[in-house]
Amino acid sequence: MRTRSIIVLLPIALLAPIACERARYVDTGSPEGVITVGNVDMQDILKASSGMLESLAETGVLKTAKNKPAQLVMGEIVNDTSSRFDVGEMTYRMREQLVNTGQAAVVTTFGNTPEDKQAQEVLRREKFLKGETSEPLPDPDFSLTGKITQVKRSAGDTKQVTYTFRLTLTNLRSGLEVWTKTVDMTKLGNKNAVGF
Amino acid sequence: MIQTTNTPTNHHCALRALRVTFAATFITAALLAVGCGSVNTTYTRTTPADSAVSAQTRVNDLFQEFFLTAKEVRMNRTKGGPMEVQIDVENNGFAYKTFSYRFDWVDTAGNVIASQLSVWKVSNVPSGGSTVIRAVAPSDDATDFRLQLRQSES
Repeated sequence: MRTRSIIVLLPIALLAPIACERARYVDTGSPEGVITVGNVDMQDILKASSGMLESLAETGVLKTAKNKPAQLVMGEIVNDTSSRFDVGEMTYRMREQLVNTGQAAVVTTFGNTPEDKQAQEVLRREKFLKGETSEPLPDPDFSLTGKITQVKRSAGDTKQVTYTFRLTLTNLRSGLEVWTKTVDMTKLGNKNAVGF
Repeated sequence: MIQTTNTPTNHHCALRALRVTFAATFITAALLAVGCGSVNTTYTRTTPADSAVSAQTRVNDLFQEFFLTAKEVRMNRTKGGPMEVQIDVENNGFAYKTFSYRFDWVDTAGNVIASQLSVWKVSNVPSGGSTVIRAVAPSDDATDFRLQLRQSES
């Protein structure tokens, strides 16, 4: 009886430490993080923003702007996937890189739905009080718009999802698209996993 | 006496047959492993590119270094100004390899330039094949880079 108990309990005792993984910190976007098949993960967002920034830097499109640094308006970026996440996770990372390194300045007081309505009001009042000779309102060079889409396929239990991040930069003086970039991510599997 | 000499001969034959069988099995298994998803690569360039630069690797994972090799490192300045690096990674192993990598860019003083471009990315390379991993520097100040490469355990 005792021997049988040992035979039954020993493998359980040995496997128990393997089965439970204690919470720990990992680097954001690290390959050690959780990888899901049906959702956009943090690794995907970081890869997308990095790919966009690399493309912007290598083409040098922001250096062609009339304003130095280039003035940028953040347009609508639509998340057309079944995965719920804030698109700002990508755009704010891009803004951080562009604004803090002096490659671009984001205009937050532009249009009918400005990001910072209070700042726009102050700016308009200042302009009104100083008259027509005052400095013009922000005169942006480019607007950034985009879309995130998905293509889902499956074969038996195996699912495959391709998430595509697309961004477009439009020259606001000519109305022409001057830069566009697509970053794809394809994930395949039948269950979520902890990365390597 | 004859029997005495015959017995070791039979034993040797059996051993030889066993060795031949083992060797044939191993070679067949190796060939099958190579055949599964491996690729043949054709290229015309036989000498290093003009933009090729020398690089050194600190090896902590000998197994990874043996199968995944950074064959050539090229650095160019992009149209927009920042440097671009391209590295040919070859898979000399028998299996499809998944690995992650991250570039960190450094300035002339050797300090790492913190940026949103330095993130871990994942790439795959089939057996016998190669892939090019590339990165663009976050600014014109970046003159050099460091690459960390990590192979999947799966």
